[in-house]
Amino acid sequence: MQTLQLLISGVAQGMIYALVAFGYNITFATSKTLNFSLGNFLMLGGVVGFILYMTHNWPFFAALAAVVLVGMVGGAVLLKVAVEPSLNQRSAYGWILATLAVGIVLRNAAEVFWSTDDFKFRSPLGDSPWRFFGEPQPDGSMSGGLGVYPQEVLIIFVSLAIVAAVELFKRRTVFGKAVVAVSEDKDTASLMGIDQKFVILFSFMLSTAIATVGGVLVAPITLVSATMGTVLGVKAYSASIIGGLESGFGVVVGGLFLGVSESLTARFVSTGYKDVPGFVVLVLLLLFKPSGLFGRAAIRKV
Amino acid sequence: MTGRRLGLVVLLLAAPALAEIKIGVYGPFTGGSAGMGVSMRNGVEMAAEEINKAGGILGQPVVLVMRDDEAKNERGAQIMQEFLEKEKVVAVLGPINTGVADNSTRYANEKKVPVIINASAGAKVNEYFAPGVENYIFRIAASDILQTELVVREAIDVRKYKKPALICDDTNYGQGGCTKLKAALTKRNMTPVSVGKFKIKDTDMTAQVQEAKAAGADVLLVYGIGPELAALANSLDRIGWKVDMLGGWTISMEAFIKNAGKNGNGAAAPLTFIEGDLSNPRQKTFVETYHVKYNQNPIAVAVAAAQGYDSLYLLKAAIDQAKSTDGTKIKEALENLKSGFSGITGSYKRPFTPTDHEAVTELVVKMGVVLNGTVVPEAAYKK
Repeated sequence: MQTLQLLISGVAQGMIYALVAFGYNITFATSKTLNFSLGNFLMLGGVVGFILYMTHNWPFFAALAAVVLVGMVGGAVLLKVAVEPSLNQRSAYGWILATLAVGIVLRNAAEVFWSTDDFKFRSPLGDSPWRFFGEPQPDGSMSGGLGVYPQEVLIIFVSLAIVAAVELFKRRTVFGKAVVAVSEDKDTASLMGIDQKFVILFSFMLSTAIATVGGVLVAPITLVSATMGTVLGVKAYSASIIGGLESGFGVVVGGLFLGVSESLTARFVSTGYKDVPGFVVLVLLLLFKPSGLFGRAAIRKV
Repeated sequence: MTGRRLGLVVLLLAAPALAEIKIGVYGPFTGGSAGMGVSMRNGVEMAAEEINKAGGILGQPVVLVMRDDEAKNERGAQIMQEFLEKEKVVAVLGPINTGVADNSTRYANEKKVPVIINASAGAKVNEYFAPGVENYIFRIAASDILQTELVVREAIDVRKYKKPALICDDTNYGQGGCTKLKAALTKRNMTPVSVGKFKIKDTDMTAQVQEAKAAGADVLLVYGIGPELAALANSLDRIGWKVDMLGGWTISMEAFIKNAGKNGNGAAAPLTFIEGDLSNPRQKTFVETYHVKYNQNPIAVAVAAAQGYDSLYLLKAAIDQAKSTDGTKIKEALENLKSGFSGITGSYKRPFTPTDHEAVTELVVKMGVVLNGTVVPEAAYKK
C-alpha cells in the first residue's frame, strides 16, 4: 500500500517533468535549439492562471484559454528576440544564454510586478484527495489507505493526451509532416517548398503554450510562486536527456523514471538523497549513450 | 576676502543639516523570505511614525534607513558596512535570516554600534560574549534554543508523546533547529524514531511522512518555513494520517496557514505574539492600525511585525535613559533598563543584563495553534 502510494506520487511528479521535457523536445526537433526558459514559461502560465482564475474569478476554461494565448505570444516573442538574432549571426550557442536570460527576466518581472510569496491555486476538481482502501473512522472520515488528488489524475491524462496529440499530428497531417521534414533536413525542406521559418515559429509557440498549460496543471499541487519553474525546468531537462531529446515518448519515460526514482529513494534510502539516482543515471547515460534511452544517432552536443 | 568666504561655506557644509536619529533597518524585502522581512519592516515603520508624532527621541526625529538584504549573506555584510561607514547610524534593527545576521553583525560589534535582532531566531547573540570583548548584539525574538526546548517540552512533557519523529529542511535554519531539537530530546533521555529532510520548494512530502509513520512516530517535530511546512501538512492528509505537528514560529507564517488550509489546523508553535489573542489595548491598537495602514488582514507574519515594532521602542527606551546616541552608552542603558520595558510582545522586567542579551524568555512565549486560517492560543483551540 505504501509503495503504491509512492508510485502514484512519483508518476504524477514524473508526468509534470515529462510535460516540460516535451517542450524541449519540440523545439529541438525543428530548430536544433532548446528553450532554456521553459521552466519560467511554466511559471508564467501558473501566475497568469492564478491572477485570472483565483484573483479575478474568471471561469477556469476562460483562464486556461488566456494562458494558452499568453504562451503562444510568449514563444513567438522569445524566438524573435532571443533565438533568431543569434542564429542569424551564426553564433552557434548564443541562443543558450539568450533563452536563459529571457527566463531570468520573466522570473524577476513576476517578482516585481506580482509577488514574491507562494499562493494556493484551487484545483477545479477539488483539493481533497480521493481515498481508497482506508479504514472508516467513527466520525465517518477515512483513515490510512491511498490518497490520490483529482488534480494528479488530471495531470497524468492531460499530459499523455498532449504528447499523443502532438505525435499523431506530426505523423498524420500534412503540416505535421512538414515539421518532421524541417527537423530532418532544413535546407531540403525549404527546397521542397516548406516555409521552414514558419515551422520553427510554430514549434516555439507550441512548446511555450504547452509549458504554460503545464503551469496551470501543476499549480494546485506545487503552489504558485515566481520561483515555481526554476527547479522544474532543470529536472525536466534531465528527463529529456535521459529519454532522448529526439523522441517524444522517450521524454515521457525519462520523466516517469525521474519522478518514481525520487519518491522511492526518498522513502527507502534517505530523504536527503532523493535526487541522486536520477542524476547518476543522467551522468552514466551521457557517458555511454549520449543520445538518451530512446534517441537516434548522435545528437549535437549542447 | 575670498578665502574667508570659502572658509564660511566649508563650515556650513560641515555642520549637520538637521539633528536627527538615524537607524538602520535591514531584512529580505524581496524573495522567498519577504513575507517575514516586510512584516518586520512595517512594524518598525509604525513605531517610528508614532514616536515622531510624539516628539521623536531626545527631541530629534527618527529617520529609518531601510535596505533589502534579499536574504543573501554577502548583501547583509555590505549593507551593514554602508550603515556604519556611510550612513553613520546610531543603531541597527533586523534581520530575518540566520546567515545574513551572522555575516554582518560583527562589523557593528567592532564599531560599537548596537544591533537589536528582531526576528532571526538562529543568529549568534550571547555567543559573542568573550573575555575582553564587548558585545553590542541584542535580540528581542525567541531564540531557536528556547523554541526547540519549548516544542519538545510541549510534545514530551505536556502531551506525553513517546516517539517523536523529526522532519527539517536542509538550510542552516532547518538543520540548526534539527540539532537543537535532538539536544532537547537527549536531555530527556530520548532519541527521535526517525529524522527526515526536505528541500526548499519541495511540494510532495509523501516519502518523509511515510518514513515517520513506518517508524512508529506518535508526534511530528518540524523545522522549516511556511510553504514547505504546508506541503508537509498536505502530505499528512494525503496518506490519511492524523498526527500532532509541532514546530518553530514559522508555523505562524501566512504562507503556512493559507497553503495548508484545513490540513494546517492543530499545528502548534511557541510564539511571542498571537494575533488572535489580544489581552491589552496597545496590542489591539497595533493590530487594527496595521490592518488599515498596510491593507492586510490578518498580518502576513504577525510575530515579525510585533517584534519589529517592539525593537524600536526598546531602542528608544535605552536612548532616553542614556540621554545620548553614543553606542557604548546605549549598550549600557540596554543592559540596565531601569524602568523595564513593556511592549506588545510582553512585559520585560529587565530585558537584558551585561551577561545576557536575550530579551525573550519562556515567560513571554505562548503556544499558538493554527485554527481555520488564523493562530489562536492553545486554550482557545481546545474549546
